[in-house]
Amino acid sequence: MSFLFPGFLAAAAGIAAAATLLHFIVTREPDLYRLPTARFAPDRAIQARAQALEPSDLLLLALRVALVLAVGAALARPIVSPPRRALMRIVLVDRSRGVASAREAADSARSVLGERDLLIVFDSAATIITAGAADSLGQLSRAERPGRLSTALVSALRTASRLRNQADSIELVVVSPLPGEAIDAATDSLRALWPAGIRLIRTAARSDSGAAPVTFQGDPDDPLRLAIPTAGARSGAGTTRLVRQLATAADSLWAADPGRVLVVWPATREVPAGWTPRPADTVGAVAAGTAVVVAPFVRTLSLRGGATAEAISPPRLVLARWVDGEPAAIEDPIGAGCIRTVTIDVPAAGDLVLEARFARFVAALTGPCGGPMDSAPLDEAARARLAGTFETSRAAAAGFPAPDQMPSPWARWLLLGAVLLAGAEQLVRRRIAR
Amino acid sequence: MRELTSGALLDALRGVHWPARRMSGGTIQGGHRSRRVGASPEFMEYRPYQQGDDPGRIDWKLFGRTERVAVRLSHDDSSLRTMVLVDASASMGFPAETFAKWNCAAAIALGLAAVAHGDNDPVGIAIAAATPRLLPPRTRRGTVSDVLRALLDTTPAGSSPLAPLLAAARTSRRVALISDFLGDAEALHTVAREMLAGGTEVFAVHVIATEELEPGDAARVVIDPENPALRRPLGAAEVAAYRDSFGRWRRTLADAWRGAGAIFHEVTTADAPDRIVRRVTGSSGPPLRGS
Repeated sequence: MSFLFPGFLAAAAGIAAAATLLHFIVTREPDLYRLPTARFAPDRAIQARAQALEPSDLLLLALRVALVLAVGAALARPIVSPPRRALMRIVLVDRSRGVASAREAADSARSVLGERDLLIVFDSAATIITAGAADSLGQLSRAERPGRLSTALVSALRTASRLRNQADSIELVVVSPLPGEAIDAATDSLRALWPAGIRLIRTAARSDSGAAPVTFQGDPDDPLRLAIPTAGARSGAGTTRLVRQLATAADSLWAADPGRVLVVWPATREVPAGWTPRPADTVGAVAAGTAVVVAPFVRTLSLRGGATAEAISPPRLVLARWVDGEPAAIEDPIGAGCIRTVTIDVPAAGDLVLEARFARFVAALTGPCGGPMDSAPLDEAARARLAGTFETSRAAAAGFPAPDQMPSPWARWLLLGAVLLAGAEQLVRRRIAR
Repeated sequence: MRELTSGALLDALRGVHWPARRMSGGTIQGGHRSRRVGASPEFMEYRPYQQGDDPGRIDWKLFGRTERVAVRLSHDDSSLRTMVLVDASASMGFPAETFAKWNCAAAIALGLAAVAHGDNDPVGIAIAAATPRLLPPRTRRGTVSDVLRALLDTTPAGSSPLAPLLAAARTSRRVALISDFLGDAEALHTVAREMLAGGTEVFAVHVIATEELEPGDAARVVIDPENPALRRPLGAAEVAAYRDSFGRWRRTLADAWRGAGAIFHEVTTADAPDRIVRRVTGSSGPPLRGS
């Protein structure tokens, strides 16, 4: 057992020693005694002080010392570490939409995962599996979300800090097809924080683009229909559905299945959930990824809460923005799929819907969840940067910074014990007073 | 209190008398020699006839022999109206665990009342408690039981003065005062002096608890039960001065009462009540403390 803040324990020991000392030097008011002839006692100031060389009450002393030590130990935050190992592995397993087979990823992870190694599965978010790693790998499934290696690296770095007292060295293993979309601007910086090489185990990447035929549900004369090349069926087995009214409960239920995309693009000026009407104005352009459309769009809705709602509602994704930066289309995850809400009025007149730029724009809005997918594998240079140029993939555990916060399950029990001891001390003190 | 109710005290005092210390002036027939010139056949002396004497008392035979006109004087027996006055202030309820002082004082009071009643003297009791109680002197049967009941019904408390009760007992020819004299000692002494000057026999019994004589040297703060504001330390360093001061006061008190003509006895709670009563009444027995 070790303590995160041993100073508190030392202070508690000092206080306990002082309390013990005070118990041995008991100063108290002398006993009161009713004596009718008290007037014949000399008239002196009452300064009587009894000094006891024995503890006045051993039980009370024991309770007080235990109380102080319990509080001190709780504040010192004791941690019980398992026996130190020579090597621990942190295995990052990619289960994002770029993975061809989750089963293959799980098998690859099993081949390197030891009994007390740590498993982290990631897509756009990372999940640390603290117990039952084998079971988790058995149930691993692909998520229709883009992979973010940066997120996984952050989790790995934090985990390594937490494990620094449990192992001599830590090895990081990444099991992933390493698609291009897994890398972002922060990846290189985060990689530089890992003080050793990273062992890369490549799995097969998804071969398709993730794009699926779009099922259009709306007026047959709706001009938007013309911008959807694969549209035409009013119903079918497609994994993307575009509806021109507000989503129904059945739509939401449908969208919750894996890989499904529900695009809610109301034809009328109905207000979707999460949006609010605003004075109509004209904006000149709207952009979704690299697809930009310049046209005199009329804007009538704003995202409720604006940028704040955008920031505080992860993993909400803004798919399209007006030229002034306001969101024009958003994506919210639902189950294993997603629902998109588009608030762009499609002009009824003109040939905008026939233009290729608008078709690209609509394709971006009807693409797979998480935005356009870049499943192309990283090039050799990028992979080499990720693996690093270190001689070994084993990082010295002591090289990781100590964590700011460390869970200490003992602390709460010690505090509970301190509360109980305080109650017992009160009872004993009252009994002695009586 | 068990001693009072068991009857052992009254048994131990059977046959004890409480004679008058001087000639009584009483008119009621009793067991004490009276100063009054009576008609009893017990001759005392002749006195020359004075104007106002009953001519019927002139001893004509003496006149025939000596030609001196003299009246024949003889003793008469009278009773002695007795009042027992008991202090039942808070200071008598000491020690708080046993009330030994009060028990001792009550036993003495009962014993004196029983002895006086046995001598056919009217006897009453006045108890200076928080609510004072007064039983006027009576000779009738059951008087001692009334006294006992009054004592049993009393719990020492408060600081009721004794002097007014003593003043109210002026009509009694004999007064027994049982107290620790820690209350209105000055006023009490003044009234007693006046009564003594008027011919009343005054018996003062000073009751002291053994714990008051030897309070021990454990460090503590002592409080006067009748004056809680009076708090003083009493430990090993103070106990000698306490003994000295208390002893001086007791001697001064005894001298003052004896000097006024009272019969003063200092008794402790360790003394047997029947022995105390015997000493107070003048019966035989070993001397008591301060007698």
